[in-house]
Amino acid sequence: MSHITSLLMSLAWRNLWRNKRRTLVILFAIVLGVWAMIFTAAFMRGMSSQILSDTINNLTGHIQIHSKQYLDDPVIDHRFSLIDDQLFESLNNVLIKQTSSRVRVPAVIVSERESTGLVMVGINPDNENGMSFLQSSIVEGRYLKDENDSGIIIGRKLAERLETRLGKRVVIMSQDKDNKIVDRGFRIVGIFDTQMEALETGYIFMGLQTSEDLLNIKNEVSEVSILLHDMNQLDELVADLQQQNPHLDVQGWAQLEPMSRVIIELYDSFHLVWHLIVFLAMGFGIVNTLLMSVFERTREFGLFQSLGLKPGFIMGQVWVESTLLLMLGLFLGNIIAWWSVLATGEGIDVSAFAQGMEMANLSNIIPFVIITKDLVLANSVVIILGMLTSIYPAWRASRLVPADAITRV
Amino acid sequence: MKTVVSCKHLNKIYRQGQIEVKALTDINLDVIAGDFICLSGPSGSGKSTLLNMIGGLDSPTSGEIIVDGQHVDKMSKSELAELRLHKIGFVFQAYNLIPVLTAKENVEMVMQMQGDSKQYRNEHSLAILKEVGLEGLENRKPAELSGGQQQRVAVARAIVDKPCLVLADEPTANLDSKNADNLLQMMREMGEQHQMTFIVSTHDPMVMERARRLIKLHDGKIIENNKQH
Amino acid sequence: MASTWRFAWRNIWRQPRRTILSILAIAFGAGLLVFSIGIQLGQYDLMIQSSIRIYHGLLQVQKEGYLDEPKMRTSIADISSLASDLRKLSGLDAISARANGFALVSSDKRTYGTMIVGVQPEFEKKISSLPGVIKEGRYLSSDSADEIIIGRSLARNMQIKLGDEVTILGSGRDGSVAATIVPVVGIYESGSRDLDRNLIQMPLISFQQVFEMNGHGHSIVIYDEDVKQLDALRLQFQDLTADYKDLVTLSWDEIQPGVRQMIELDYASGWLMYIVLVAIITFSILNTFLMSVLERTREFGIMLALGYTPFNIGRLVMLEAFILTLVGLAVGTLIGVAINYYFYVYGLTFSGMEEIAKMYNMPATITPQISFESVFLGPAMILLFTLLAALYPATRIRKLQPVEAMHSI
Repeated sequence: MSHITSLLMSLAWRNLWRNKRRTLVILFAIVLGVWAMIFTAAFMRGMSSQILSDTINNLTGHIQIHSKQYLDDPVIDHRFSLIDDQLFESLNNVLIKQTSSRVRVPAVIVSERESTGLVMVGINPDNENGMSFLQSSIVEGRYLKDENDSGIIIGRKLAERLETRLGKRVVIMSQDKDNKIVDRGFRIVGIFDTQMEALETGYIFMGLQTSEDLLNIKNEVSEVSILLHDMNQLDELVADLQQQNPHLDVQGWAQLEPMSRVIIELYDSFHLVWHLIVFLAMGFGIVNTLLMSVFERTREFGLFQSLGLKPGFIMGQVWVESTLLLMLGLFLGNIIAWWSVLATGEGIDVSAFAQGMEMANLSNIIPFVIITKDLVLANSVVIILGMLTSIYPAWRASRLVPADAITRV
Repeated sequence: MKTVVSCKHLNKIYRQGQIEVKALTDINLDVIAGDFICLSGPSGSGKSTLLNMIGGLDSPTSGEIIVDGQHVDKMSKSELAELRLHKIGFVFQAYNLIPVLTAKENVEMVMQMQGDSKQYRNEHSLAILKEVGLEGLENRKPAELSGGQQQRVAVARAIVDKPCLVLADEPTANLDSKNADNLLQMMREMGEQHQMTFIVSTHDPMVMERARRLIKLHDGKIIENNKQH
Repeated sequence: MASTWRFAWRNIWRQPRRTILSILAIAFGAGLLVFSIGIQLGQYDLMIQSSIRIYHGLLQVQKEGYLDEPKMRTSIADISSLASDLRKLSGLDAISARANGFALVSSDKRTYGTMIVGVQPEFEKKISSLPGVIKEGRYLSSDSADEIIIGRSLARNMQIKLGDEVTILGSGRDGSVAATIVPVVGIYESGSRDLDRNLIQMPLISFQQVFEMNGHGHSIVIYDEDVKQLDALRLQFQDLTADYKDLVTLSWDEIQPGVRQMIELDYASGWLMYIVLVAIITFSILNTFLMSVLERTREFGIMLALGYTPFNIGRLVMLEAFILTLVGLAVGTLIGVAINYYFYVYGLTFSGMEEIAKMYNMPATITPQISFESVFLGPAMILLFTLLAALYPATRIRKLQPVEAMHSI
């Protein structure tokens, strides 16, 4: 059959360029469409990966372990002990890359002039490292030395609001394990700056041991946050940990931050919808252009038939022609999309919409991210649907009656 | 001698809305191998219809057509295609060639479809183009050839794989008399050299003179069927 | 004139299949744009309405600087009489004064730091939907009653029920300690996580006493359900408060810039997608315009010979493109409006919508907007693009030479 294939290919390629202008017009439509698909997919993928990494960095991690009632009512009462052989053993899992234990309770911060409510987080600075945004966001002063560090770290916005600054003392008030109000003065040793206002005004950080001392607890924490080597093993590990620690509550990030999950899922489902819309927009043009070239060549198809070529060959010819056109469009579209993604560098800066972005759990720079799955989806939508739609013009071509086709002037 | 084409009680009626047009009425015709037949008659007399029908491009309303022992009227589309590919060559008045292919490629195409080897195709197409007097023009596209040259390529393509029957529908209609004469001369020579049967439709008296047998059609009926030379 | 239209109309239908495909492409684009712009604008209306309605109002009069740094001392003196003056002078009734503070609120078991807002119960009902979402008990009774209402989440976290007393401990405007014990008379559930978890309301006069406000307050909230009146109202209130120095009139989008930015960002990215889509559709049908000129060269030659000018013919070709586009737009717009009308009556919702709605404090069904803007903006853009596209083949006519043209095929 190869002799027929090569004949088909060379006929199709040359026919494609018989009417250069027309082919270029429709090719442009296809390239534009493919570009739009991949570029938009890269943007949406960038948004969702940004949301995902922000979600994980903003103290969530991949998995968190809490006491049963903590998520409903995040207070000191719902803490759990770290001196627990079963827990210790189950955290010694090869799938786990890193863990961090935290005390995380509501508190009030009082400066010389203002006061406000927020969440106080006690951490082990070494364990926290690489797990959350904190260390890399310190812009003034220093990070916590160790879990006994007597200083605290607060956000830049909070410092402005409290009219305080690095080196000043503030009072932290909270409830201890017996629900008594406890308070103590702390020196601000570091100031952090993130793009998220809610983080900057809603959290302060101190050493884990320091926070336990303040709340009169020992070796007890509010949560353990876990980072995995491979996110794909998340569900498996959640199930294992939950089974091994039935008295605790084990949740993945998607359950902890349903909003992020929903947005990511929405983007995901929008991919295909958008691809289909773009394809439809160019599909009409593809069919129309192919039909034009088929009806122009009526005589020629009659001639093919009189030469003894079967209708299947004629159908194949038009079909190969449109497939070549589609592949050319895909090739150029992919290249231009890659190029334009590269040209955007780090991503696009949408800080003009900073507060709006924050409402959508997003930071101010959206990177463009191209992943294989999205490329495959966009390209297969175009090639598969494109080949399907060109069946109609190809079929029309093969159905032309030879005697009519030849005698038509 | 072997009969290549045999038509029996052939009728063709075209229907256009309410109007019926009898294109062919009770045609009976036998063509023996190696003949060079001229089909003449005014336009609308049914020449093209008859040729198309023998070539399986159109189907009769009633009657039968046998080409090389096969019932053309009873064949499926793809059987007809096979028949045309292997046994029949066509030459039309115009638009004979695939515009995107060169003269040589046009000739080679039929052989390629039959699965002939590249070397065979190459040798054969060059030889036949030389025979029809187009040496040196093999790589030109149809648009770069004169009308006469185009028709020669068409003839070369029609005969390259030695079909038993070549159907030519007004092949000289678009040519001046000198070119027409040359083309006819060549077709006749080819027919004799390669033992092929030609049926040529025309209303050109010069073509009629060249024919061995002259069949005249009028209003879809055979009114004359004479052997000439 | 009529005959030119008829001539153009007949020309369009010389290639019915091609024309229908082109009309379908245009109709698809128009329908899609009408549908999605309607949905988008409808969604924005909802977001704006809900963000205004629930708590923040359409306009607020504040002391200059309070918005950026909401401090107790940045207050308006004698706020109740200013509010009543404004009601009288403007003729609007939906104007209410508020004072904001922060305090530690304790039940028997728990202590939380939350916002406390002093309100005028009678007028608060007119500017905010919060008084209407009391799920247990009742709303505040009078300006000077010693009572509070509290959000459902906060009540649950503090483990208090209706009728329980809570201790409020904060600092007054003059820096003194502000403390009181008040009963909870109502529990509200607004659906906004922020409010339900973090906001307590008490009568304005009681608030002023507890927090040593001395008649001061922080904002005068003005509500009007017609967002379009915003600019006019803003000017009016700027005028009315011109005599007071340091007072500013802020619009809802200055108070909640996040909502406005979300909308702007969404609208901008939406339009980018629409433009790309319309460009693809334009290229899809450009071939139709192009071919209808190129294949009629001979005909145009005859027309030139008959005394038509190239301008006449160019106008005819443009008219054909215009009519074809109009038919497509009419079909698409009708379908788009029909779909939007359906959802206008029955409401549109999709999976994930509920979570997002909760986040932005909106109902979970979208009602598409059907307005001049939502219906005609998209089709107008398509018309503009296609007419630009039709210019290209039309200009080619000027190059025609009658004799050559008549001899071409």
